[in-house]
Amino acid sequence: MEKSRRYAKSHEWARLEDDGSVTIGISAYAVEALTDLVFMQLPDVGSTVTAGESFGEIESVKAVSDLYAPISGKVISVNAELPSQLETLNNDPYDSGWIISVQPVAVEQLDALFDQEAYDKLIGG
Amino acid sequence: MGLPRHTFPYSDLSQRSVLRVWRDPSAAGGLNMAADEALARRSEETNSVLMRLYGWQPHTVSLGCFQKIEDFFSERFLAHWPVVRRPSGGGAIIHGTDVTYGLAVPSSHKWSKRTEDLYSAVHGALVQELNDRDLKAGMVKAARREQEQNFYCFNRRAFGDLVVEHPLASSDCGNCKILGSAQRRLSGVVLQHGTLLLHRNPQMHGEGSHPGLGDLLQSDAGSVSDVIEGWLQRLADQLGSRLIQEPGCSYTKDNEDIMTRMNRYETGAWLNRR
Repeated sequence: MEKSRRYAKSHEWARLEDDGSVTIGISAYAVEALTDLVFMQLPDVGSTVTAGESFGEIESVKAVSDLYAPISGKVISVNAELPSQLETLNNDPYDSGWIISVQPVAVEQLDALFDQEAYDKLIGG
Repeated sequence: MGLPRHTFPYSDLSQRSVLRVWRDPSAAGGLNMAADEALARRSEETNSVLMRLYGWQPHTVSLGCFQKIEDFFSERFLAHWPVVRRPSGGGAIIHGTDVTYGLAVPSSHKWSKRTEDLYSAVHGALVQELNDRDLKAGMVKAARREQEQNFYCFNRRAFGDLVVEHPLASSDCGNCKILGSAQRRLSGVVLQHGTLLLHRNPQMHGEGSHPGLGDLLQSDAGSVSDVIEGWLQRLADQLGSRLIQEPGCSYTKDNEDIMTRMNRYETGAWLNRR
């Protein structure tokens, strides 16, 4: 599978890395839609996430949104600096704005996600 | 994330043309939060816009989803008050002399697409109603960050908050905030909570004490009940919908689903999560 981002309909992205882990974040579209971000809650390293279920929360000035896991797996690292530097999500949502990294249970789950072209259509781009 | 699903089809247009509203009895915090959550799931399942209005008994403090519990305990006027944490954000609210609404809008509905749209629809409908009753009401267009950080919701000023220019306003803000709302964006549905202060709460003192609609309304401008009726009708009109005020309660109190949700809100794990 090529090393490119895949997207959930709930606007999280997932990227398969060379070591077999999957990095997860939220799309630039989602960041823009949420506007002024004020708080983020992340899962603990070692916890498990399930595809389609909430693994964290993010708060903007007037709304709280769940973060949904695009793939099931064990959390092997979190971007611990992100909650105190939420502007990173605005500036670089696909690199330094990553949220968690998981060891996937079944990497094939990525195939069920949108590729870039399909996601662009989803958001009307 | 609970953002709009652009490709989700309008599957039931007959459901979409109705705004169903329940006037639920006053209840404790855990039950009220559980009933709102159940309303949201029902909205998603039926693809329809649903709303419930309710009060709080006993008088209760609700905290925003991310507020720190230690900040609640450090407020000396709040000792011994029941407290619940909301699923939505924002500041602490003193409930008991207010009417709270829970409005659930499925993700396929246009009002769910942008946070601001739902605020504008709900708050704008009340602004119109109040202006017609000679109250100088409006919505906050922009706020300074420090105005969004106060412990109490009604001391904050954020985009969309409904404020009234009135002599009772504190000098800090220059107006009275009487309606504030916050959203929880779930997968498939947006739940918007809002609190309309009706009267100043006699059990509250200090900076958490605020005048309500009934304290600001001129005696010849009708009652708070009249205002609420007008507000709901205007809201339905903005939605292009028929307003249906449902009899009875929006939920069954001893329903297993409600009980499960209520238990979650009443646990220390949820209340003390921050």
